[in-house]
Amino acid sequence: MTDVNPPTQTASPDRAALDVSTVADLCAEIEANVADVIVGHEEAIEHVVTAMLGRGHVLLDDVPGVGKTMLARSIATSVDCTFRRVQFTPDLLPADVTGVNVFNQQSREFEFQRGPVFGNIVLGDEINRAPPKTQSALLEAMEEEQVTVDGTTRDLPDPFTVIATQNAIEPNRTYDLPFAELDRFMKKLQLGYPEPEEEAEMLGRTVGHHPIEDLESVTDLETIVAARETVAQIRVEAPVREYATRLAGYTREHARIGVSPRGTIALLRAAQARAATDARDYVIPDDVQAEAPVVLPHRIRTTDHDRDGEAVVSNALERVSVE
Amino acid sequence: MSAKSESHAGDRTADLGLDGSIGPDTFRLLALGCVLVMTASYVSVLREVTRVVGGTQSLFALVGAVIVVATVLAWTIRPRTAVVAALVAGAVGFGYYLEITGVGVDVVFSASDAILSDTVTLVAGLPLLRMVEAGVWTLAFVPAPVFLSWYLAVRSRYALAVIPGGFALIFLVLTGDAGTTVTLLGTLAAVGAVGFGELERRGGSVAQADLLAVSFALIIVLSLSVTVVPDGSGSSDHLSGGDPNTLEGAIDYSSERSGIGGSVDLSPEVRFTVESERGAYWRTGVYDRFAGDEWVRTGDASAYDGPLEEPPGEHERVRQVVTAETNLGVLPAAGQPLAIEGDLAQHTEVSAHGQFHPTTSVIEGDSYAVESAIIDPDAAELRAAGTNYPQPILEGDYLQTPESTSSEFEERTAEITADADTPYDKAVAIEAHLRSTKDYSLEVDRPNGNVAEEFLLEMDEGYCVYFATAMTQMLRAEDVPARYVTGYTAGQEVDDDEYVVRGTDAHAWVEVYFPDHGWVAFEPTPPGPRDEAHADSVEQARSDGADNVDTDSSQDVPVSDDDDESADNPDENGADDDGSDLNETDPGSDDGPDGNETDPGSDDDQSGSDDGSDGAGASVEASDRDDGLVSSLISALSVSRETAAIGLVALVGVVAGVHRTGATDRVRRTVGCYWQRRTDDPDRDTERAYRRLERVLAREYRPRERSESARSYLEALSADPDRDVGPQVATVVDRYERALYGGGVSRNEADETIELVDEFTRARLPIVGRR
Repeated sequence: MTDVNPPTQTASPDRAALDVSTVADLCAEIEANVADVIVGHEEAIEHVVTAMLGRGHVLLDDVPGVGKTMLARSIATSVDCTFRRVQFTPDLLPADVTGVNVFNQQSREFEFQRGPVFGNIVLGDEINRAPPKTQSALLEAMEEEQVTVDGTTRDLPDPFTVIATQNAIEPNRTYDLPFAELDRFMKKLQLGYPEPEEEAEMLGRTVGHHPIEDLESVTDLETIVAARETVAQIRVEAPVREYATRLAGYTREHARIGVSPRGTIALLRAAQARAATDARDYVIPDDVQAEAPVVLPHRIRTTDHDRDGEAVVSNALERVSVE
Repeated sequence: MSAKSESHAGDRTADLGLDGSIGPDTFRLLALGCVLVMTASYVSVLREVTRVVGGTQSLFALVGAVIVVATVLAWTIRPRTAVVAALVAGAVGFGYYLEITGVGVDVVFSASDAILSDTVTLVAGLPLLRMVEAGVWTLAFVPAPVFLSWYLAVRSRYALAVIPGGFALIFLVLTGDAGTTVTLLGTLAAVGAVGFGELERRGGSVAQADLLAVSFALIIVLSLSVTVVPDGSGSSDHLSGGDPNTLEGAIDYSSERSGIGGSVDLSPEVRFTVESERGAYWRTGVYDRFAGDEWVRTGDASAYDGPLEEPPGEHERVRQVVTAETNLGVLPAAGQPLAIEGDLAQHTEVSAHGQFHPTTSVIEGDSYAVESAIIDPDAAELRAAGTNYPQPILEGDYLQTPESTSSEFEERTAEITADADTPYDKAVAIEAHLRSTKDYSLEVDRPNGNVAEEFLLEMDEGYCVYFATAMTQMLRAEDVPARYVTGYTAGQEVDDDEYVVRGTDAHAWVEVYFPDHGWVAFEPTPPGPRDEAHADSVEQARSDGADNVDTDSSQDVPVSDDDDESADNPDENGADDDGSDLNETDPGSDDGPDGNETDPGSDDDQSGSDDGSDGAGASVEASDRDDGLVSSLISALSVSRETAAIGLVALVGVVAGVHRTGATDRVRRTVGCYWQRRTDDPDRDTERAYRRLERVLAREYRPRERSESARSYLEALSADPDRDVGPQVATVVDRYERALYGGGVSRNEADETIELVDEFTRARLPIVGRR
């Protein structure tokens, strides 16, 4: 905490980390690139980018057709990495996600056929359409960053980010994600319908030739890994940690189930990433405040309405003292 | 108890930590101290009584023993038992008092009404000194409150402990014995005991003691500015001329007490006229108990119902008709009054010493007839009277001297009366000694302590009060029953059998008891200089054209006519010389201006003043003027000192009150907006700089919400273009965030931040700021 320490002490012995301002530039670059495809939704784009840098996964929860998949694809494309997509359907099996051992007639050995989960960015589309067993296969991979098939454990690639979508309509044809598993998503985002002028612009861009097909990557895997390391080293001082604790405490007092410690960790990681996008090597309460509305609500159960979590979080932000 | 406080002594010092907090043990000591002070306050009042009547040692011993007993019993008996024990102790003490006074305990059952009314009288302002056995009374009174309050205090029941002590103090306030200072001290101690007790119980800190300070200051200021304590010396509506700075005001300032003042003035106004076949000293008050600085009349007065008992010896009955020329609070009468006639008779009460007192004010123009017994024994008879004093005389206070009377006083008295064998000779020797060695002056500084002693041993001059006081006390030291009486000299004889008495004639003299004769008057004051001064005062007033100096019949008659005097004096002295009168004993009574004198009982005219009055009078007047200037200066100074003291106390109270309301914090915060002390820690400096900025912004725009971060607060303020929140504020916030959440700031950055904030805040100073 003294000025003897250089402000950006990011050097790590084993992994090369980037300078925090480089990370900020990188984020800006990705966001600008994605904005070529997605009209509006700047906040959502930023949230997805910061979730990726903060080693989290994102759940996009909205009605079909607002661009959830397009957003995920744009970000994956912007980074030069492996992008996989799984369309969850009621008959999808766990092995369809993780992969399966196949007997190779030529070599006369079982070979592991990697499932779609082995990608740097995995898009799980309409995840709530698959039965819980299949959902949990993906969620386990998210948590452990590894999959186990037939007794063999295999590491998933690094970085590994899941962007799942679910839609809120047709509730009788979906399997709601268990509450415990929802907790594993760092953020749950809603895109919402675009503004009229945004929609008009989007139509202008997409009618005919879709811009996603021309989208090029702006960064590579190594840069992302280094940026994630930088983000992990962003300073979170005691006042901020205490603030996060107070926020979590408030939700626990004012809801049936409040934010778990995992939720608090996720909140601070998200805040770290947001600080990095602002070229700051330390988290300020504003970062926490910016991330809390997307990081916390889906971890809160009040009575029966899922959306009540948002009200609890906004109350917490209004009431809980910053210092 | 003492063991307990010892064992906690170490803890107590430890309690006084760096933060200045004081532990409960200290508060306990303070509370116990306050209870002790409260106890001391009323014991000191009682001690004033014992100092006069004797028994101080017993009082202190009793109080000490009671405190020890209470301390021991506090650990052994329960409160209920203690209350019963205290009540029993009080009852036993009271019973003992009744036995001693000869009333008997059975009076409690037979005359409970009387006891009740006595208590009411006492509470209604009867000073303890007027009680017949005041010493015993104090001893009976003191154990119960001292025991109960200390017992409860040791048991940490401070609020209850204050009740018995407070009751005792209030009782003494109501009797008029507790003065303002003592009462104030006792009350403060009571408040302190309760307050510190609470602090001990609640584990309070010094910061909460400010409430106590406010209470103290409030009590002090209120009690000094509002006179609610019935202080004896405060009520002097007794005489119309009852200004305590006049001689008569001093000697007759209230009906039961006669004060001894310092310098006094003389009022030349006519008080009353007397038609009498012979002139006499007109007595208005008789006092028996000497308190060192004042005379007190003990015993109760009773309503006048028929003539009083005549003196045992030979006497002459003289009838006087007294007409009040102004409103009077006294009934002047010669010698030993026996009967009073007129409308005033039913408004007359008789003191235990046979003096008439009006129960209502005597209105100007009222007149009454008094018949008095004037005893006129000659020296031989008095010498032969012996010392076989009747029991009531011996039991009364006629032999009382203050406990503190020094042996030196007694030795000097013994020296003066060495050659005298009989009480009469002693009286004459003392009278002669005082007349010849002390000068007459109305300008004296009132001595501290025992006035009689000071006058005899130290002072060179004084006026009648000093002479009479000294002589009474000297006689008592020689075991001769004597009392101090006040009144007026015969006054100006304007016609045959008619006397005009003025304020200047106010006087004090001595009466000595002789078996088979009764009370015989003696005059220790040298009459010559006295009359000069007094007559001059009248002449002065006449020439100034003052009102009320003369009656119709008196104005053409000179007050001190040398011819008149010289005509009277030889006549008087002639009579004296037959041995029919006291004046025989005076050396050189025939010729000297100071030699003759005054037997109020036998002389026709007392106004004996003879020579050179002009020169002496002038010098008295001159010194009077000087003294007036000095005394007015002194009084101005003393007033200002008192005011300053009250002001100081009030200031302390205000400061504590301000502290209580948190105004000092506010002031400190406000000042802190504009100035900041630098520390070694740049991060801390930066943070404090930001706080200053925030306070100024809060005052100017709005305070930051608790849930609002510094940055969002700033953004919210900047959102309004009318608000002049410059880029330097953003810099400050950035530094602040870095100091608080980031890796810290450098010294230079911190200094820069402080300067930025200085600039920002000082530009917004309310008065000198640029905006």
